Amino acid sequence: MTVNLKGRIDSNNAAQVEKDILTELQGSSGQPVILDAADLQYISSAGLRVILRLKKAHPELRIINVNSEVYEILDMTGFTEMMPVEKAYRVVSVEGCEEIGRGANGTIYRIDQDNVVKVYNNADALAGIQHEREVAKLALVLGIPTAISYDVVKVGDSYGSVFELLNARSFSKILANEPEKMDWCVQEYVKMLKTIHGTLVPAGKLPDMKETVLGWARFMQGYLPEAAGRKLLALVEAVPHDDHMIHGDYHTKNLELQNDEVLLIDMDTLAVGHPIFELASMFNSFVGYSELDHSVIRKFQGFDFETGSSFWHKSLAAYLGTNNQRKIKEVENKARIIGYTRLIRRSIRRKGLESETGRAEIALWTEELLALLAQTDTLLFHANELELEAVTENLQEVQTFVEDHLEASGCSMKAQMQIGVAVEEIFVNIANYAYHPDKGNATVRVEVSGDPVCVTITFVDHGVPYDPLAKDDPDVTLSADDREIGGLGIFMTKRIMDDVAYEYKDGQNILTLKKNL
Amino acid sequence: MNDFGKIDLHMHTTISDGTDTPEEILARVKEAGIDLFSVTDHDAVKSSRIIPALLRRGDPAFLSGVEFSCKDEEGKYHILGYGYDPDAAAIRSAVAHGHQLRMKKVTARLDFLASEFGFRFPREELERLLAQDNPGKPHIGNLMVKYGYASTKKEAIDRYINQIHFRSEYIRPEEAIQGILGAGGIPVLAHPSYGSGDQLIMGDEMGRRIRRLMEYGLRGLEGFYSGFTGKLCREILSFARRYDLYVTAGSDYHGENKLVALGDTGLDSAAEPPEELRKFLSEAAKRAAYPAGG
Repeated sequence: MTVNLKGRIDSNNAAQVEKDILTELQGSSGQPVILDAADLQYISSAGLRVILRLKKAHPELRIINVNSEVYEILDMTGFTEMMPVEKAYRVVSVEGCEEIGRGANGTIYRIDQDNVVKVYNNADALAGIQHEREVAKLALVLGIPTAISYDVVKVGDSYGSVFELLNARSFSKILANEPEKMDWCVQEYVKMLKTIHGTLVPAGKLPDMKETVLGWARFMQGYLPEAAGRKLLALVEAVPHDDHMIHGDYHTKNLELQNDEVLLIDMDTLAVGHPIFELASMFNSFVGYSELDHSVIRKFQGFDFETGSSFWHKSLAAYLGTNNQRKIKEVENKARIIGYTRLIRRSIRRKGLESETGRAEIALWTEELLALLAQTDTLLFHANELELEAVTENLQEVQTFVEDHLEASGCSMKAQMQIGVAVEEIFVNIANYAYHPDKGNATVRVEVSGDPVCVTITFVDHGVPYDPLAKDDPDVTLSADDREIGGLGIFMTKRIMDDVAYEYKDGQNILTLKKNL
Repeated sequence: MNDFGKIDLHMHTTISDGTDTPEEILARVKEAGIDLFSVTDHDAVKSSRIIPALLRRGDPAFLSGVEFSCKDEEGKYHILGYGYDPDAAAIRSAVAHGHQLRMKKVTARLDFLASEFGFRFPREELERLLAQDNPGKPHIGNLMVKYGYASTKKEAIDRYINQIHFRSEYIRPEEAIQGILGAGGIPVLAHPSYGSGDQLIMGDEMGRRIRRLMEYGLRGLEGFYSGFTGKLCREILSFARRYDLYVTAGSDYHGENKLVALGDTGLDSAAEPPEELRKFLSEAAKRAAYPAGG
């Protein structure tokens, strides 16, 4: 039952308006009442009380097509929190407007120099717009620089939300036009990514990405060999719940440079979860989508496949804080498992197994996915952890890996060199003795923490139990010929570090070195 | 459930612009299950004299009440007075001043209708009109219908009475507040968010208004009101807490004239009442009239 409100409602006519509405509503018992305010210019508090009384008699009451002046009054006085109030939407055309972004749920156009509009794909987008507004506000409150829409407009058959975006350029545009700024873009892109992933979200405020990914993995059960399908599901299930924020669609069109500020936009995919889920979506944006047809990325991002791949690898390296290719490859492969899962599902649903391009890309991605599943036991990763074969040829790699992390933490050159001596001593020991005469792996972990700053380096191997600290310190007063071989290195390590501890646990030798900086 | 039961401290009878007589309103208050009530006729204290004598065993408790229409350079206000002595000179003179200004307005309207349209009424009708406690536009309108100058009261008001606009005169808020205080009563600002009825006053403007009226002796705010949303109520409660003022609750029931239900104050009787309302009610308990025999 719809009742039209017209003109002005104030103390002069409120009583009459109320009577008229009640007359109109007679015999409408049970039907939800809608007040259509398309022709309502002004409402005073006498008019507000009429609405309040109607609301008491008709709890389902809602108001639609409210102009912005009336909306402001309803909002200020708390009516918008009591009942659904829908604004009348300004009509905006995006005909001929520059497209500056495109996401999963909509396309962003610049409508004038200072404003952009995000037009949603689906016609029933108001709930989505409301959701994006809320999560964008949440992100802003939690310290993520973003633009918040200030108006909702009607665009064709759909809706759009309008943002102020002054003089802004997307990172995609910068990469496409100024390739020399690649490293700067990587640096800012990763800085923002770390801010997002470092943001704890109060429980229940954002959806859990793990649930979404589990849905993809379940979907895949019918399309993968049974064992591979089960492994995929088990890998996702083993990812622990994480209350840190992830953006969900973090590519270079969703990062804008406004004056000197970097802004994150397109917030409707915001979620919480393990960073591997984010890396998967990043891999798809820069590599995965375009793996079969390299021209795809140009349509989407405006730069070529090589630029996309290079940007992805540099960003991943910066994110992990290391240039260690083994480490980068390891994490990339984990990301690809989820990335391909998503791509295959998407292709099956959108293109289908019947279409030629669909079949080709599904075959490519499935082959990659099966190979990755065969060699992966966990989707978890630690940026500060490196696992490699314990052979002296790998010493240089271990040292560079440790140095990368020390350098990033602002460790002095002297301390870096001292720690380097200790790292060499321990790793060479493991390489020479732990698995002799066989071969095995060692894990090196670097942690920088606390105030005052403290570096902890942990070595783990599965070799024969051996406590290097059990030996007495060598008698350094003896001549070199009389000393026992090998004891001196551990002695020096103890001198250099502030604390050295050994533990044998679950079949592992765990040696922990600590140094206060 | 709170311990003081159901309350409604803002309603009108035929002594001002309500449609229930004091006897009828008492019956309706009982019907609505109200435990403490106050009748707050505009610029009139007559109900506070009549009602205590009507109370019988088992009836609700009654608190004397009044609602003054006030105006000064800063705006218009409705000031409620509670728990005063209706025979005290201080409040009687405020009521008399208010009544005199109202009479002036009625006389001016009658003069205008006579000179502009030639509408005249028998002397005894005019005397009866002017002898009423609170004559206004509706009463003149009724008279016009009775003598055939208009077919409905609405037509009388819209087509004729409203043709004249003059600056309405009201007593000043300090006069009303002093009158209430002088009679031992508690002055309270009615429906603060809505001013004298059709304004919207919020935020800083509300803060300034309250501080100024407090200088005159204002002691409370009507925080629970049938016409308030939760947000407006919260704002008034917050001001009451900040300035250490009492909080009251009222429906502004007018009988058939408006569609407000008696006892509809927005105060959820199941919820814990705010401290400022509890304090007011403990003051009210000392001043209320109770039926003989309890």
